[in-house]
Amino acid sequence: MADRQLTFEIFRYNPLKPEVAPYMQTYKLAETTGMTIFVALNMIREEQDPSLMFDFVCRAAICGSCAMVINGRPRLACKTLTNTLPAKIKLFPLPVFKLVGDLAVDTGTWFRYLSEKTESWVHTSKVPDPKVQEERMDNAVANQIYEAERCIECGCCIAGCATANIRDEFLGAAGINRVARFMVDPRDERSPGEYFEIVGSEEGAFGCMGLMACDDNCPMELPLQMQLAFVRRKMAAYGLGYKEKKRIKP
Amino acid sequence: MLQRVLTKSNKSDLYLDLIELASGLLLVGFLWTHMLFVSTILISPEMFNTLSEFLDTYYLSYFAIPFIVVVALLHFVIAGRRIPTRIQEQRIVWQHAKMLNHFDTWTWVFQAITGMAILVLAAIHVWLVVTGWPINAMNSADRMEAFWWFYLVLLFVGEYHAGFGIYRQFVKWGMFPRKPIGYVAKLITVVIIVLGLAAMVAFVRLGGGA
Ligand code: SF4
Ligand code: SF4
Ligand code: FES
Repeated sequence: MADRQLTFEIFRYNPLKPEVAPYMQTYKLAETTGMTIFVALNMIREEQDPSLMFDFVCRAAICGSCAMVINGRPRLACKTLTNTLPAKIKLFPLPVFKLVGDLAVDTGTWFRYLSEKTESWVHTSKVPDPKVQEERMDNAVANQIYEAERCIECGCCIAGCATANIRDEFLGAAGINRVARFMVDPRDERSPGEYFEIVGSEEGAFGCMGLMACDDNCPMELPLQMQLAFVRRKMAAYGLGYKEKKRIKP
Repeated sequence: MLQRVLTKSNKSDLYLDLIELASGLLLVGFLWTHMLFVSTILISPEMFNTLSEFLDTYYLSYFAIPFIVVVALLHFVIAGRRIPTRIQEQRIVWQHAKMLNHFDTWTWVFQAITGMAILVLAAIHVWLVVTGWPINAMNSADRMEAFWWFYLVLLFVGEYHAGFGIYRQFVKWGMFPRKPIGYVAKLITVVIIVLGLAAMVAFVRLGGGA
């Protein structure tokens, strides 16, 4: 594997310098063992071009900031080994999100909007009493919530989604997954009607065309197909007037 | 934004999605039954004629054809709402599909294209059948001999659209993982296409012999 000479073609554009039109720049780099795109980009920046812009924080697939389009697919730079790729590697920033410069995009604003729109907090009328023990949760439910919470807000599912590429208000798989997370949470007192307000339209569950680019490109391998279908069915059931038995809240 | 506020919180998006689902399922059901009926020619021309006479005498054809035409038009309008109309959006989707090179995204692009093709092709097909009434083995054989290339295209385009369409609806609504749904949908599609091809050959032979 070693001794490969990698050729990187990287998208360059700085919105603060609009007079320079976007262009592709080529860099050459000798591959090392265990090299990730993240390592390669840092080497290029250190040794060849300090002006190259890209994001990273954790370099361990936790923070979600290094997502970019690698040979056509949205992926995490820190989780993508160069030895899984051909010697020619093309890098683009994620589409949909605001371009900061070169490979860096602003996913934060978008995900903040998502959190506000979906009201990503447990809606409860109970006032917690710090002196008593916390209420227990069924293990299966806790796992279900945890599964959805593994989302690192990298934006790969949004960038890969054809719908999100043309419909600005579409919440995408990350947004619908977020709603699913609160739907299964027994502490959240929101009614199906209130959820319908959030995702019962083409901005949410019914905007999805089922292309599954989200499901295929999520670096955390969240079960997005199942989450999307779950929310869609729930919303359809509510919309058609099927009354759910009132959940018993412990 | 006033316009968004005033039109929010209605269920129209849900209803549209349900109509897309229902009309799609109806059409797939119809298409597959239709192809099974057509392939009775493989058993014998008499069998084919008996079936079509049966459908004729009980007025099933007279009811079913207009009904399916209406459902198909409805499906075209409702499912077609997904197709981007602005040229820039179309370019975005096209470029996106090329960049991503992702199977399900490509099949969706072709879904939109085949859908429009079917609108035209199926209209011609219905016109041919209705003007050549009644349906019987000899009439169909003549038609198949003259227009076999047309029916070859329609068969593939129609089955493609139906197969991937039903797959996608199951993916969107269903509780099953995608892989097995995909296998089943592809298997049925292949069976129907093989039946269709065999029926075409049978018709052309029948026509040639006469
Ligand atoms: S399945 Fe839905 S959310 Fe996921 S990529 Fe496709 S359209 Fe987007
Ligand atoms: S659902 Fe997956 S792809 Fe989407 S933002 Fe979360 S971790 Fe990233
Ligand atoms: S740097 Fe944090 S996910 Fe890649």
